[in-house]
Amino acid sequence: MKKLIYIYIVLISTCSLAQNDSFFQQGNALYNQGDFDQAILKYETILDSGQHSAELYFNLANAHYKLNHIAPSIFYYEKALQLHPNDKVIQNNLGFARNMTIDAIDTVPEVGLSNYLKNITNKLNFDAWAKISVVFVCLFVLLFLFYYFAYSSTKKRFSFVASMVCIGLTCLTLALAFHKYNLDKKNRPAIVFTQESQVKSEPNLRSTEAFILHEGAKVQILDTVNNWKKIKLSDGKTGWIINEDIKALSEI
Amino acid sequence: MKLLKHISLILILFSTTLVSAQITFEAKVSKKKLGINERLRVDFEMNKDGDNFNPPGFENFTVIGGPNQAVSTSWVNGKRSYKKTYSYFLSPKKRGSFRINQATIEIDGEIYKTNPVTIVVTSAVNNPNDENNPESIASKNIHLVAEISNTNPYLNEAITVVYKLYVSPDTGVSNWREIDNPRYNDFWSQNIDIKGLKVLNGSYKGEDYRYVVLRKTVLYPQKTGKLEIEPLSLDVTIEVPTNRRDIFGGRLMTRAHKTISAGSRSINVKELPITGKPSDFTGAVGDFQFNVITNKSELNASESLQARVEVKGNGNLKLFELPKLSLPSSLEVFEPEHAENVSTNLNGMQGSISDAYTIVPQFKGKYPIPSISFSYFDVKTESYKRIFSNEIVINVLEGPTNTTSSDNNIASTNNNKQPIVVNNQQFAFIKTKTDLISINPNYFFKSTGFWTGLLLPFLAIPLALIIRKKKQERAADVTGNKIRKADKLAKRYLSEAKKALGNKEAFYVALEKALHNYLKAKLNIETSDFTKDKIKELLVTRKVDSQIVTEFLSILQNCELARYTPITQVEMQQDFDKAAKTISAIDKQII
Repeated sequence: MKKLIYIYIVLISTCSLAQNDSFFQQGNALYNQGDFDQAILKYETILDSGQHSAELYFNLANAHYKLNHIAPSIFYYEKALQLHPNDKVIQNNLGFARNMTIDAIDTVPEVGLSNYLKNITNKLNFDAWAKISVVFVCLFVLLFLFYYFAYSSTKKRFSFVASMVCIGLTCLTLALAFHKYNLDKKNRPAIVFTQESQVKSEPNLRSTEAFILHEGAKVQILDTVNNWKKIKLSDGKTGWIINEDIKALSEI
Repeated sequence: MKLLKHISLILILFSTTLVSAQITFEAKVSKKKLGINERLRVDFEMNKDGDNFNPPGFENFTVIGGPNQAVSTSWVNGKRSYKKTYSYFLSPKKRGSFRINQATIEIDGEIYKTNPVTIVVTSAVNNPNDENNPESIASKNIHLVAEISNTNPYLNEAITVVYKLYVSPDTGVSNWREIDNPRYNDFWSQNIDIKGLKVLNGSYKGEDYRYVVLRKTVLYPQKTGKLEIEPLSLDVTIEVPTNRRDIFGGRLMTRAHKTISAGSRSINVKELPITGKPSDFTGAVGDFQFNVITNKSELNASESLQARVEVKGNGNLKLFELPKLSLPSSLEVFEPEHAENVSTNLNGMQGSISDAYTIVPQFKGKYPIPSISFSYFDVKTESYKRIFSNEIVINVLEGPTNTTSSDNNIASTNNNKQPIVVNNQQFAFIKTKTDLISINPNYFFKSTGFWTGLLLPFLAIPLALIIRKKKQERAADVTGNKIRKADKLAKRYLSEAKKALGNKEAFYVALEKALHNYLKAKLNIETSDFTKDKIKELLVTRKVDSQIVTEFLSILQNCELARYTPITQVEMQQDFDKAAKTISAIDKQII
C-alpha cells in the first residue's frame, strides 16, 4: 500500500513537471507571436506551482520589458541574476530595462581588503562552500588515518602535511560559507514598484521628504518599522519608504 | 389817546433804529462748524471808520490770508451807508471747539468790542468746498467709479476692475490727467488697453449720465484675506455751467479743475480649500487642458526629439509652474524652453503656456516617458481637478554604432555585398530551455546532513584507532583466536546444511558434505580415501580426543542412516547442533 502511494506521488510530481515544461514552451511560443500578456500568464502559472529557474525569470522579464512594465521587468531580471549571477545575456537585457528607469543612482565603489574578501566569498554560494568544506574534512580524516597507519616515514611525512593542509582549507571554506551566508542574509535588495515614491526621513507621514524614487530603482532594505522599510541606495543615501511601494527580491 | 400811543410807539421804534444806525462793530464767521480740511473766513465789520483795529489772537488757527480791508460806501434814497471790513482767512490747526476772542477798535474816541465766537472744528470732510463754487457743482455732476467684478474671489482667481467716469449731461470734461496710478500690491495685475474712449450712455444712481470707460485691469490676488485696492485719482478739467447767460440765452460755462478719485475698495480673498488639494498642486486656478506631446515616437540614437508639456485654457497661466517632465536618466535632456502665448481680456488670461524639452537618446532601447499629472482648482465647480498625461514610449531603433543604416539600405540595391555589422548591444531573445527547480530551496548549509558530514569524519579517527587496537589484541591472544577460527569454520561449513534444515534428504546430504569438506580442508585428505577408519586414524594422530572422534563418526553414520529412516525435525536440529559442536571441538584440539 505504501509503495503504491509513493509511486502515485512520483507519478503526479513528474506529471506536474511535464505540465510546467509544456507551459514554458507555450509561453515561449506566445512570446514569439508577440502575445506578451498571455506569455506572462503562462510563465506565472509555473511560478505559482512552486517552481522556478533563471530562464523562466528571464523570459518573464523580457515579456514585461516588451510591454514597458519597468519595475516588473527589472524585478524578474534581478531574480534571474540571483539564480545565475554571471549570465551575460541576462545582464545585457537588464541593462536595457535599466535604461527605462528615471533615477540615476551612483554606486560607491568598495575598496580594500573587505572588497577582496567579498569578491572571493561571492565566487560560490554558501551551499557550495559548505559542500567543499565537507569534502575537505573527509580528505583530512583519510589522510590523517593514512598517516597513522603508514609505516614508511616519507609516506607519513607527506600524508601528515597533506592532512594539515586539508584541515586548514576546511576551516577556510567553512568560514567563507558562514561569511557568504551572513552576506546573503544582509543583502535584501528590493525594487520600487510605484511610479513615484516619496522617501521620508522618518517612518511616518509627517516627516520631511528625503528624496524621491521612481519606478524600477533598486534599493537595499536595512530595517523595518511597522509598514515602513528603511532603505539604502547604492550611493549611500538612506530613508524610509512605505512597504507597498517596494517589492523585495528575496524573502528571508 | 390811542393816537398818542401809536405815535409814541412809532417814535420809540425810530429812536431804536437811530441808535442801531449809530455805530456797529461785529465779527462774522463764514461757518460755525467746519472740517479740519476747510477754511474759515472771519470778517470784522463796522459802519464807521475807526482807528487802532486790534484783531484777536487766532491761537488755534493759522492765518493764511488777510487782513484784507474793504471799504464800501453807498447812497440809497439819499441815505449814505458806510461799511468797512477786515477779513481773515483761517485754517484750523487741530480738531476741537475754539473761541475767536474779541477784536477791538476805537471809533470816535470810544472803544468797541466784538462778541467772541465759538468755532467747532470737526474731522476732515469729503467735500471741503463751498457749495456754490464751480468745484462743488462739478463734484455733484462728475463721478469716478471703480467696478469690481467679484469682491469675494478665491486666491488666484481673476477679478476685473473697471474705472468708469460718469459725467452728467449738463457738464463737460475738456481734459483729464491721471495723478495717481493705483499700485496693486498683493495682486498680479494687467491693464487692458482701451483704444479710443467711447462715450456711452448709462445711469448712475438712477440718473442719466454719460460715461467713459477709462481703464480696465485684470487682477489676480496673490494673498488671502482683506486686500485694499488703492483709488485711482484723476485731475479733471470740467466745464461747469454758471448762472450767467450769454446774449443768446445760453448758459456761460466756467472751467474748474477737480481732483476726483474712485474710493478705495477692499476685497476679501478666500483661501483655496485645503481638503482634496492634490500633492502636485502648484497654484493653477481656472479651467485648463493638459497635454504632453512628442513630435516623434521612433528615432535613431543621437537624433533629437521634442517633448512639449503644455497647459491650455483660461486662468492664471503666467502664475504657476508647469509640471516637470521626469525622463529616464539615460536620455540626454536639455533645459526646457518656456513659451507663453497668452492674451488677457476681461475674463482673465487665455491661451497656452508650454515647456519644450529637447531630448537626445544616446543608446538603443525603449524609453517610456511616464505620465505626469497637472492639478488645478476649478472655480466653477469649486473643486480640484487633476489631469494625467498619456504615457509615451520613445523607441530608439538604432544604436549609436550604425546610425546611417537607413542610407545603407538604399545603397544595398546596387551593392550586393554588405559587411555584416555585429551589434553586441542587442536586446536578447528569450531562452528556450530550462531546468525548473522548486522555489523553496533545500539548503545544504546548516542542515543536519551538513553538520554530520562535517563532524562524522572526525569520529572515524578514534574509531579507527580502537579497531586497530582491538585487532592487535586479538592477534596477541593465540588460543582465543583458535577458538574463534574454529567456530567460524564450523559455521561456514554448516551454513548450507542450516539452509536445508527441515528437508530430510537435502539436509543430511548437505551435512555429510559439510563434514567431508571440513575434514578435507583440515586434514588435507582426498575424497577417495574417505573411510571411517582413515578418519579416525587421522584425527587420533592429530591428537583429537577419542570421544570427540567417535562422536564425529557417529554423526557421519547418522547421515547415512537418516536417508532410510524417518527422522523428525527435532532430531535434525539435534544432529545439526551436534555437528557444529563437534567441529568446533575438533578444531580446538587439532594440531
